[in-house]
Amino acid sequence: MRRSLLNIDWLGLLAIAIAGSMALAWYKPAFLSTHNLYVLMLGFSLSVLVALSQMVIIAIGQMNLAVGAIGGMVAIIFAGSMEVLGLPVPVAVLLGILIGVIAGFINGYITVKSGISAFVITLATLSIFKGINLGITEAQPFYAIPDVVKQLGNARLGPVPYLLFLPLAIVVLLTILMTRSVIGKQILAVGANPNAASLSGISLTRVVVIAHIISGSLAAIAGMLTVARLQMGDPMIGNDWLLISFAAPVIGGAVLTGGSVSVIGTCLGVVVITLISNALVLLEVDPYYVQLLLGLLILSAVGLNRYREVRQRRASA
Amino acid sequence: MTSHTTTPTEASRFRPFAFLTSNITGLVLLIALLATFYSMYATGFTSKFNLYTMGRVMAIDIVIGFAMMVVLVTGGLNLAVGAIGVAAAMFGGWAMESLGLHWGFGALLALAFGGVLGAINGLATVKTGVHSFVITLATMSVYFGAMIVLTEAEAFRALPKDFTVIGKTRYYGFVSALLPIALATGAILLVLFRYTALGRKIKAAGANPRAAELSGIAVGNTVVFCHCLSGVLAALAGLMLTARNGAALPSMAGHVGQDWLLPSFLAPVLGGTLLTGGTLSVVGTALGAILVSVITTGLLLMKFADFWLNLFLGLILLAAVLLDRVRSVYAARRQQMQVD
Repeated sequence: MRRSLLNIDWLGLLAIAIAGSMALAWYKPAFLSTHNLYVLMLGFSLSVLVALSQMVIIAIGQMNLAVGAIGGMVAIIFAGSMEVLGLPVPVAVLLGILIGVIAGFINGYITVKSGISAFVITLATLSIFKGINLGITEAQPFYAIPDVVKQLGNARLGPVPYLLFLPLAIVVLLTILMTRSVIGKQILAVGANPNAASLSGISLTRVVVIAHIISGSLAAIAGMLTVARLQMGDPMIGNDWLLISFAAPVIGGAVLTGGSVSVIGTCLGVVVITLISNALVLLEVDPYYVQLLLGLLILSAVGLNRYREVRQRRASA
Repeated sequence: MTSHTTTPTEASRFRPFAFLTSNITGLVLLIALLATFYSMYATGFTSKFNLYTMGRVMAIDIVIGFAMMVVLVTGGLNLAVGAIGVAAAMFGGWAMESLGLHWGFGALLALAFGGVLGAINGLATVKTGVHSFVITLATMSVYFGAMIVLTEAEAFRALPKDFTVIGKTRYYGFVSALLPIALATGAILLVLFRYTALGRKIKAAGANPRAAELSGIAVGNTVVFCHCLSGVLAALAGLMLTARNGAALPSMAGHVGQDWLLPSFLAPVLGGTLLTGGTLSVVGTALGAILVSVITTGLLLMKFADFWLNLFLGLILLAAVLLDRVRSVYAARRQQMQVD
């Protein structure tokens, strides 16, 4: 029952994405230009990691306000460790991921051990991670990024940016993890009903901490890819991730009380959001409308889910 | 959560460290301690000018804390506090500058506008049954986006002098005129929640919506009322900030108003308002905001925290909630021992 409902969810989104693309291509042929497709995919590749980072936490029925703060902190430590400490790129990448893992571990461990809502804990760690970011950088970007990283940020195969490959691989891995692996099923079980999951022998601590570690690592990777994209370690990275991190999973049909998320749905949510932003640019609409539309989109997605729920309940009654 | 099982008299008998388990006393002691420390070691802390500027920050943070507190009591939250505050202040700025209305009337319109935006949050929450987190996350973006689009991100700088002077007035050389506004707001809220039937209904509805509904309280209405009140308070904070700046700026609460997020939660949480709803402390919230502004001012004066400030505030919030948790576990355990 739930499964078929999920399928319908993302088929609808897919239809919207395809119809939207076709309408745009017909109305604005510039939509299909190599450059525009490149910009689209670049936007997608960064946003999708941010959205998935939040989705994993939504799956366990929590929320992670610190996604952007982790991404920003890792971004500037990644850039700073190469510029100031002169670390080689691979070491800096490992350091960045390690910091993402640690940040996620802190969020997960404190949440599960204290029993305090993840909202407050991640609001506090948001401020802590952002504080570390500003304390290190004093709000000044790191500009001296190694050429390898800069080249990766600019490299492309026709319209396809190199930066897209890693996020795509992560999407595949995460799909397998959430649908086929034991830990994926445990994450969903904990999200659906923590008490029942706990009674059936699942360790809440382990599952919650692992989910937060996955979330932290994804945010860390997103932060480092953004450094490659912007060609600098900007302390502002991550400041505007909050909305999109929730918007994409919610549009993709994720239930915020936990237990039901869809990797494909989330990806399609990111596609729709990217298309809308792109359409506004192509149609030369004030970019500030993006903010307004994103909010309305979340509201309508939530309203639609609610409407479907009510109808379903009526049908079964 | 078995803390409701014993009567207050029983609980108070075995409490040698009762002052530690009371938020109010604890906060007052902490503030006094910090103030003493800073007046000895932070040069300029007790200067009239510093007390005046600290009072301005304090007053605004108190009202921001109230704006979140009145929604927390319903068991919900309002991420859009900052967005409403800025949107309402910009609306007020527009009414005063472009429409040329008297500043008092413009301010009233701004408060009403904030109330409408808040009521929309409340209605959307009640009608959809979706948690206010998602609703206010979305409206935060909608309100802020609409405000930017309508104002084209331009500030209102030619505000009536009679209005902006409020932000600059000081009594006795060190008391900002914004402080009495915050305290009067607190007094009204205190009366509302302690002495009126509506206040009691709100608390009952927040503590246990189903039980409240069964005992005849229209829970939905109380939720809408609280969100509306939150909008009015956010608008008030926005107006106070506008008076302080001397202009209504679209950027005064950061991107989508998220700069108010931390102060709005810090004050009520430090003051003992529970996020699960049903309890709130007006005095505690005010003291929480005072504590935060004292800490911040002192750290800034000691040239300690220009860029590390966020880190300290985050650590304080974390410490506060963890301490609160330890306290309630300790209290529950002691009660358990009494029962045994």
